[in-house]
Amino acid sequence: MQKFITKSEKQTLALGEKLAHYFQGGEIIGLIGELGAGKTVLIKGMAKQLNINKTITSPTFVLMKVYSINNKQSIIENLVHVDAYRLNSGQDLIEIGLEDWLGKSNTITAIEWADRVKDILPKSKIIVKIKFGKKQNEREIKISNLKSLWKKDTNQ
Amino acid sequence: MDNKKYLTILGIETSCDETAASLLKVIPKNKGVRFEIISNVVSSQVSIHRQYGGIVPEMAARAHIGKIIPVIESCLKKMPRAKKLPDLIAVTSGPGLITSLLVGVETAKTLSYVWQKPLLGINHLKGHVAVNFMSGNQQKIFPAVCLIVSGGHSELVLMKNYNQYQKIGQTRDDAAGECFDKVAKLLNIGYPGGPVISQQAEQFGLKIKTIKFSLPRPMINSDNFDFSFSGLKTAVLYLIKKQKHKLSDKKFVQAVCAETQQAIVDVLVSKTMRAAKKFKTKSVILCGGVAANKELRKQLKFQVESLNPEVNFLVPPQNLCTDNAVMIAAAAYFKFKNLTKTQQNRLKNNWQKIKTNPNLEI
Repeated sequence: MQKFITKSEKQTLALGEKLAHYFQGGEIIGLIGELGAGKTVLIKGMAKQLNINKTITSPTFVLMKVYSINNKQSIIENLVHVDAYRLNSGQDLIEIGLEDWLGKSNTITAIEWADRVKDILPKSKIIVKIKFGKKQNEREIKISNLKSLWKKDTNQ
Repeated sequence: MDNKKYLTILGIETSCDETAASLLKVIPKNKGVRFEIISNVVSSQVSIHRQYGGIVPEMAARAHIGKIIPVIESCLKKMPRAKKLPDLIAVTSGPGLITSLLVGVETAKTLSYVWQKPLLGINHLKGHVAVNFMSGNQQKIFPAVCLIVSGGHSELVLMKNYNQYQKIGQTRDDAAGECFDKVAKLLNIGYPGGPVISQQAEQFGLKIKTIKFSLPRPMINSDNFDFSFSGLKTAVLYLIKKQKHKLSDKKFVQAVCAETQQAIVDVLVSKTMRAAKKFKTKSVILCGGVAANKELRKQLKFQVESLNPEVNFLVPPQNLCTDNAVMIAAAAYFKFKNLTKTQQNRLKNNWQKIKTNPNLEI
């Protein structure tokens, strides 16, 4: 478990970028945090690092949005953005076809409100917990299972 | 007039939590056409989803399956005697919830095959826009700027004719309707958020200037046509976090609702007017579920009329703002009219080609 403190929305976005820098494909990121914590902001950062030009908008309404990535130097071809805000179990996500993407080596799956769909997430998932800090705009971000990501860094 | 010259269109809409079907009659008149709504049936699932604070996909799909045939049957009962079947079938193919969309699309495909009638897949957002073109003076519409606001979308679209849509702006995070829903959730006052917040704001009355706090109007001065509502939600969260005890104070909750609604309306109106001025549009169109919001209708209308009395303000009646199938049939007419005779004839086998797309863009 690694802890980060961000002091602004910009810094949260930058942390998302930093995380995505280490993605190798197939990662499943579960985000946990209240309304307004900054889950979508972190995913916007990841999308930026992954070279997605399209605006990442909230998937709350349609539950899942798929963004394709056009980068010949990377094997990552898709970012799947899921919002489990109003779901009771992972079964709902299976029904909308998440299994087509989850854990595929060319896909990054980011799931907001992951605590609601724990039942379908594999052990290898990376869990990001975001809490409000003491000061306004401050966030305390805890990330588990980061080792799997840093490995790439040490290999280089 | 030859009775058979008119066109009947069966519209089917199941993109979200309303199971809807409509029968629309399009009658040639002088150089244009006249629209007549023969039937408009909407079966809402709001009560099913209310306890969850949003639509639950699996339950929505089950409810659609249960309702779709009775809804279509009740629509077809009013079919004019001269015709046994509709001339054209139109169904929402996206955007929306995949599990909900599939019910309507598969039903429509089956009907098209069995009846041997042409089928068109319709973009739900274009339906929200097209419902505005069913009445009134058709001469002075284009160019038009459309503000489409709903639970899943907030977009500004520029139109040069009935079939040309150019997106000029959109939300960068949450949709306007979603912001209403989430603020309502923070205040714990119910679902869907739009109607509850508007109601609470109305109870607060005209004393909006007496509110001691203020909420941000995100991106109101930015030099583009994009929106952002996520920060507004977070600002409400901070506001009530500091004074949790006040959540039981009726007046306070009403004040938060009034200020939230005004913040959303201010941004929507300001960006829409900026687009109307820049593109010198002949009309301003407001549509989508959030267009049912009384304050938004009133304030945008006022601004359009103050800008230039020559500019038309179009907004559907409230029951045609929220999801319905009349708008799908209307959009189908404009799409159909734009096809060549050969293309129109090919639509009989079109059922094989129609695909649902939950992320379909305008």
